[in-house]
Amino acid sequence: MSLTTKVKLGLLATGIAAGVALPYLTSPFIIGIVTLALVFGLFAMSIDVLAGFGGLVTVGQAGIFAVAAYGVGYTATHLDGGHVLQVAVGLAAGIAISVIFAIMAMRTSGVYFLMVTLAQGMIVWGLAYRLAPITGAENGLRGILRPPAVSAYWTYYYLVLAIVALAGGLLWIVTRSPVGLALRGLRDGEDRLRMLGYNTAFHKAYVFVLSGLFATIAGILYVYLNQFISPAASEFATSGHGLLMAILGGTGTLVGPLIGAFVIVFAENMLSTYVERWTTLLGAVFVITILFARGGLVGMLSQAWPRVLARFGHPAASGDAGAGSPPGAALDGTAHATSNPHGITTEDDQRSSR
Amino acid sequence: MTMEFVFFQLLNGLSFAGLLFLVASGFTLIFGLMRVVNLAHGGFYLVGGYIGLTIVLATGNIWLAALGGALAVGVLGVLMETSLLRRVRGQELPEVLLTIGVAFMLGDLTLAFWGGDPRAMPLPDYLSGSVDLGFIGYPRFRVLVTLLAVAVGIALWLLMSKTRVGAIVRAGVDDREMIAALGINIRLVFTGLFFFGALLAGLSGVVGAAFLGLVPGESDIEILLFALVVVILGGLGSLPGAAIGSVIVGLIDAFAKALVPELAFFTLFAPMAIVLVLRPEGLLGRRA
Repeated sequence: MSLTTKVKLGLLATGIAAGVALPYLTSPFIIGIVTLALVFGLFAMSIDVLAGFGGLVTVGQAGIFAVAAYGVGYTATHLDGGHVLQVAVGLAAGIAISVIFAIMAMRTSGVYFLMVTLAQGMIVWGLAYRLAPITGAENGLRGILRPPAVSAYWTYYYLVLAIVALAGGLLWIVTRSPVGLALRGLRDGEDRLRMLGYNTAFHKAYVFVLSGLFATIAGILYVYLNQFISPAASEFATSGHGLLMAILGGTGTLVGPLIGAFVIVFAENMLSTYVERWTTLLGAVFVITILFARGGLVGMLSQAWPRVLARFGHPAASGDAGAGSPPGAALDGTAHATSNPHGITTEDDQRSSR
Repeated sequence: MTMEFVFFQLLNGLSFAGLLFLVASGFTLIFGLMRVVNLAHGGFYLVGGYIGLTIVLATGNIWLAALGGALAVGVLGVLMETSLLRRVRGQELPEVLLTIGVAFMLGDLTLAFWGGDPRAMPLPDYLSGSVDLGFIGYPRFRVLVTLLAVAVGIALWLLMSKTRVGAIVRAGVDDREMIAALGINIRLVFTGLFFFGALLAGLSGVVGAAFLGLVPGESDIEILLFALVVVILGGLGSLPGAAIGSVIVGLIDAFAKALVPELAFFTLFAPMAIVLVLRPEGLLGRRA
């Protein structure tokens, strides 16, 4: 076991221990923020699966997130359904909308994919405002109570912690499975993958729905956390925040988006009392991260880490790139003016470069 | 459904299509040459609308407002292009992500400067009121918007197909390296085109301020959604595509708002889904 692996396992163990111990150490207020950060962390991870690993940058994920939340909310407030039915409807709604969105988006890539997902998310937002009989329009849906077993803030926190940890583990396995490999193939050379006989559209749809499933879970956890849902959840800004969390933390790393979510959720709750133009600040963070730190926080750390190792007399930790590409790699992809590294230009390359 | 209702909604649709074309043409022009999907386009629209409104309130002159709003946003576009986009030239995703950051900032800053109340642009007498079209009366301003859009469309078409600048832009779309090798300063062309696209967004914002009104935090997003659907339908980067997409979206929106108001946005979804499944590059788009 290399030192780096030991450090990673140590960090993971510390993280879990801290997560379990937290309710004994701090105030309900902080626990509330941590729970929200975990929910958004899962949401940002679901974006990372598509954006970071597959180079498919989605800005409509809040649409899926909100549809699942509305599914729960509608069942609770209009159908008087029990919690099992609420969650079942939420899951079904989220998965159904993911499948529809996936079929629409599966034949596009790059900026087209981004635009299509953006329009999808915005249509959910528009419907959330106007379909008052179901969504309650601007007033939203109130009084969506948690199941009695997790009605206390700290029991709900443990539930969220467990689900997010489980989901994170599942996603980690998925990204290292053949599906994950195909995803990276989509990112690095979709045309080549297609020439090798892969049905790239099918792969995209598959991963889209998978990512949508995790956004759905995040949406369900979100609505029970707030016990309330309004059109704001489906806003462009929600998708944008999720994407920013992923990029700020480091795309293609899974743990990065979680870190990004903690940074942004905590900053929002701590700073927005003092900083009047919070959204402007977020926009600036967005711009600065893209311009100067595309690997995000995890990228910066992993760049600094070999130097730390060297100081302790270890050879640089090579071969430990995890998923095999540096954080932020997805964002460098689909460059349309870069030359082909092999000097061979196929007709397909030329077309994809336009 | 009476004939009058159909005609009235037809005109509603066509005049809204006029506004949509003004917005979408700038968006699609920028994409056509630069491959930049400018998601700050809605923010540009909103800023143009507010600057126009401020000028009208100060001077009472709507033409000055249109000029001022358009030019100010054009300059804003140049600032964004030279200070941000140029640093990531050629990298599609970082480019569009930068524009998302700018969109956040513009949405929030307009809220800070102009406040959170919905505003509407007052029109001078000679632009308001209705005009008699023989069988029905129709708001004069909306007729003028349609005519303006047609004029801008023809002007853009002439510019693109008949002038040297248009030839350079079209050549740049096909082969950017070659056009640079021929000694044309493609950077300047990029900046100029970005200025022009942003100018159109600013102008459409002034028109939209009188047409739809300005709702902070909503108008920018809503118009961006419409522009996206227009170009997804018509084909990204294609001017005729933007025109056709605008007419389709305008008509669908007008009839949907009148017949099934609670589904106003959802009615955009179906045509978009059909086009994406059958012809992902859009009706007049090139295969990407």
